Amino acid sequence: MDTEYTSPTPSHHDDVETVVGPSVHVEGDFASEGNILVKGSVSGNVKTSKLLTVEKGAQILANVRAGSAHVSGNIKGNVKVEEKLELSSSAQILGDITCSILVVEPGALVQGKVMMNGVSIEGGEDSLSQRSSSRTRRAVKQEEQEDLN
Amino acid sequence: MYLYLYDNFLRSRKYDSLLSTIETRLTDFGIAGKIIRLQHLTNAETVINEEIRRGATTIVIVGDDKTFGNVLSKAAVCDVPFGFLPIGSDNSIAAVLGIPVGVEACDVLSRRRKVKLDVGWFNNRYFVSRLHIPPSDITVEYDEQFKVSSTKGKIELVVCNLQPYTWKSRKSQDIVVHPQDGKLEAFLRPVVGKGVIKEKYDDPSIFPFEEMVVTSRKPFVVEADGKESKETKITIKLAKKRIEMIVGRERKF
Repeated sequence: MDTEYTSPTPSHHDDVETVVGPSVHVEGDFASEGNILVKGSVSGNVKTSKLLTVEKGAQILANVRAGSAHVSGNIKGNVKVEEKLELSSSAQILGDITCSILVVEPGALVQGKVMMNGVSIEGGEDSLSQRSSSRTRRAVKQEEQEDLN
Repeated sequence: MYLYLYDNFLRSRKYDSLLSTIETRLTDFGIAGKIIRLQHLTNAETVINEEIRRGATTIVIVGDDKTFGNVLSKAAVCDVPFGFLPIGSDNSIAAVLGIPVGVEACDVLSRRRKVKLDVGWFNNRYFVSRLHIPPSDITVEYDEQFKVSSTKGKIELVVCNLQPYTWKSRKSQDIVVHPQDGKLEAFLRPVVGKGVIKEKYDDPSIFPFEEMVVTSRKPFVVEADGKESKETKITIKLAKKRIEMIVGRERKF
């Protein structure tokens, strides 16, 4: 008798990784359903619901969205991670970071705002943002004054 | 009615006893049928369509990876279930399909456990095993979303459908590419220099995809299912659930 198997169980579907090799350049928006490993350079948005690994020497020049991320290379753009973001000592990020858990090794460089989900202090975010915006305004005025002088 | 397509290499006397044992086993199972020996110029599609018209209900390919690729690249359009009896040493697709090499394959065939397989398609041609582009100055565009190029020049490209591929690595152990169903996987390896005997390669990049366009200013060689052609632009797609295939329980997808 014939047996029809329409949905065989995938055995190693989750292991599938998208790998951008060391001497490869990717241009354009780049999305994957699995883990992404970047060893080369990417000029375009990177998106995955799973793990993104940016190795030392690798470069991403656009916004990044991932389930979780481990960064040892350079990112010029905003980084939005649902869960854990780990920055190793060689990591450099020029852009804002949003995540739930942040692990930073000594030596990692970040230039931008860090926003973390789960802050439960009442009015914390509002007052902080007001304070920071008034500080920024003051700093801009001061710089303008210095320029005029 | 079963139709058995024997590869030409099975004419060799060393396969006589094995074929005789297989034929006896098939008769025991009640699935013996007509045998056609494939020649170099036999068009599998024409033969299969003619035999379907005469009442063939299952087509069984008897041979190795090359036979499997040659027959199915032409016959993927035929609406009939396929079986495979792997014979000989060059059989890596059989393992992916969960079919043992030799007489034991008859047991898998008799159980008729069927799945629908995806097939690769490029420039109006199907490929079932893999597509290979030797190192060339190519640019690859995936799913109309992003372009991939090498910062160092030439790239070697392999697209795996059913046949595993082993990449010899100079630094660490060899990389074995295991295919999976549902998507095609493209493996790119840039050439980073020339060694004494052959080129040196960088670590490979891997991209699963559904559609890919490979372009170049100069014509590049494309090898698919053992057949070579020269192209300047190819579009590679996945034809989902194209072939109905009898497979074993130990299949790898």
